[in-house]
Amino acid sequence: MVQKIIAIYGKGGIGKSSTASNVAAACAESGYKVMIIGCDPKSDSSITLLGGKRIPTVLDTLREKKNIKKEDVVFEGFGGVLCTEVGGPEPGVGCAGRGIIVAIETLKKIYPEFMDNDLIIYDVPGDVVCGGFVAPIKKGFVNEVYVLTSGEYMPLYAANNICRGFSKIGMKLGGVICNSRNAFLERELAEEFANKIGSKLIGYIPKDPIVQNCERDGFSVLENAPDSEIAEIYRKLAKEIMENSDSVNPTPLSDDELRNLSKKYAADE
Amino acid sequence: MEDIKGIKGITDIADIKIVHPRPSSIVASLYTLRDMKIDVAILHGPPGCSFKHARLLEEDGIHVLTSAMDENDFVFGGLDKLKFTIEKAIELFSPKSIAIVGTCTSMIIGEELSEAVSDYEDKASFICVEIHAGYANNTDGVIAVLEPAVKSGLLSEDEFSRQKEILQKATAVEIKAGAASQEYLAPSRGDIKYKVAERLIQLLRENKKGVLILNAKKETAYMFADEIVATYEIAKKLGVSENISVLSNTDVNLGLPRVREHAENIEKGYKEAGVVVDDIIGGLDEYGVTGKTVLNLMKTKYADSDFVLIAGVPHAIPPEAFENMEIFSITNGPRQVLPLKEIGHDHVIVEIDLHPKTLGVDKIIPSEFGDNLRSVFSDSL
Ligand SMILES: Nc1ncnc2c1ncn2[C@@H]1O[C@H](COP(=O)(O)OP(=O)(O)OP(=O)(O)O)[C@@H](O)[C@H]1O
Ligand SMILES: [Mg+2]
Repeated sequence: MVQKIIAIYGKGGIGKSSTASNVAAACAESGYKVMIIGCDPKSDSSITLLGGKRIPTVLDTLREKKNIKKEDVVFEGFGGVLCTEVGGPEPGVGCAGRGIIVAIETLKKIYPEFMDNDLIIYDVPGDVVCGGFVAPIKKGFVNEVYVLTSGEYMPLYAANNICRGFSKIGMKLGGVICNSRNAFLERELAEEFANKIGSKLIGYIPKDPIVQNCERDGFSVLENAPDSEIAEIYRKLAKEIMENSDSVNPTPLSDDELRNLSKKYAADE
Repeated sequence: MEDIKGIKGITDIADIKIVHPRPSSIVASLYTLRDMKIDVAILHGPPGCSFKHARLLEEDGIHVLTSAMDENDFVFGGLDKLKFTIEKAIELFSPKSIAIVGTCTSMIIGEELSEAVSDYEDKASFICVEIHAGYANNTDGVIAVLEPAVKSGLLSEDEFSRQKEILQKATAVEIKAGAASQEYLAPSRGDIKYKVAERLIQLLRENKKGVLILNAKKETAYMFADEIVATYEIAKKLGVSENISVLSNTDVNLGLPRVREHAENIEKGYKEAGVVVDDIIGGLDEYGVTGKTVLNLMKTKYADSDFVLIAGVPHAIPPEAFENMEIFSITNGPRQVLPLKEIGHDHVIVEIDLHPKTLGVDKIIPSEFGDNLRSVFSDSL
């Protein structure tokens, strides 16, 4: 079986964490050993897998004790998904990027078997802002990345920019996921964008209030609304990711190309 | 875990809020690379990082270069500069082995050292040391070298576990009675050398029994051994050398390659000076673990001694070993004087700036106290 170690990147607020946790839940549901590593100082990647409860973060724990153990920071959530939150400083102080590096190195030390999982998902905040934010790739053995975008111009712009980063460091892109914002002809636009950068659209997630309702209650869609249409969509995306075998070196678009592409799908006033 | 210094809850050096500057773990990495006989070390960081030691180490057979990161590199990453430096190193020195050594700057911004190396792996063998200076124990800098060295087959697992153990003990020694023993230690120049020399010679003249102990750290032994040699020579001239016993941590079969060489050189020096070593108490990297051996010897074979002279790391030996003896100790750490006095050493001497003088050296060299002994003795004739 292929082992997947993936990271999900995309513009801030586009839906990386909710996609990561729902995909994790769906994979666990179908019997995979799954781990999710939240790399965001706001520590919100796994909260919906843990019934809305917060877990101690790696960096907070490291601050308090030297002999940190796996049990201190790795917790079992819905469907047996292993959940870890890196944590980090309050906004405006310290260095969150360094925090991610330290936390990943620590995890490798205290839980060397973490590579035995079938799927490991790193959930990274916002855009790639400094060296530390690619630590999952450079130190965490990521073998495939996914980019999340909607059909709006700025998320696409961010996605394109992120792909430029990947192509520079030779990281393979598994595919583009479209998380809908109900933009005009959104799926088609995302698909053309994906193809243009040499990749493919691997999933399309419609905008559905169930996602946020479940989130508010502290659960994934898979746990709280297992029979919903959107749950089925996450299951399908999970399957696509687990079976995906064609990742590519992306070829980012120029600013003009991207602008023209976006214009082509612009809704008439 | 045992509480350190009897303070409840303190089990780690990091829990003591020490405010005097101490040895850097980056520098500890550099010294370890030298002990492994790596040809070139490249610091990936700002030009001034570890400057003084880098310069000294060059005297000792390892080239040290810097990638000289500047503000732009802090912002944009400096791997190109690192690659340039690697190319320069290959061009200048045709080295067999190159180590890339991290610094605070490169580690904080997440530079991936191995990435810069991959283009040159056919030209030299590389070892990447991910280290910065933010460790309470500078010995972490040693581990940071040894770990990748084991992975790349440069070091055996056995030697690695041995090294880890002696490092732990060395750290424990520093916490117990060394530079990490108090939150602040004022530096001191120690006792006046010629006065201490007079006292030591007086004891020899009075036919007192004494033990001379070399318990030194690696290359510092080149100078500390001179204190043993000088004392022994005077004892011989006075015809009382049978009163004197010598213990020395110069086992030639222990330690990293360079460290064994030092031991051989010191042994050769002893021979030339006619110094007879009675007991080998360990290797030159074992100054932190020799305490027990010395304690045993002092309690059995040498229990009736009147005085003892310890050169190198005197605080590594438990003071119980020397009950009712007059203790002379020689250190190179100005911050070591206070703790040594506190554990009851009668005479504490500091060889100021000893370490730089022992780099690039392959035989025993004159020490200030040794020279004091010699001149005080010849003046008295
Ligand atoms: N398909 C969807 N339908 C409805 N709401 C969604 C959908 N996907 C995500 N959301 C909601 O959008 C909000 C932002 O999502 P999320 O926190 O996952 O984004 P993110 O990309 O992880 O953000 P950040 O960059 O800040 O980490 C959440 O409230 C989430 O529930
Ligand atoms: Mg998020």
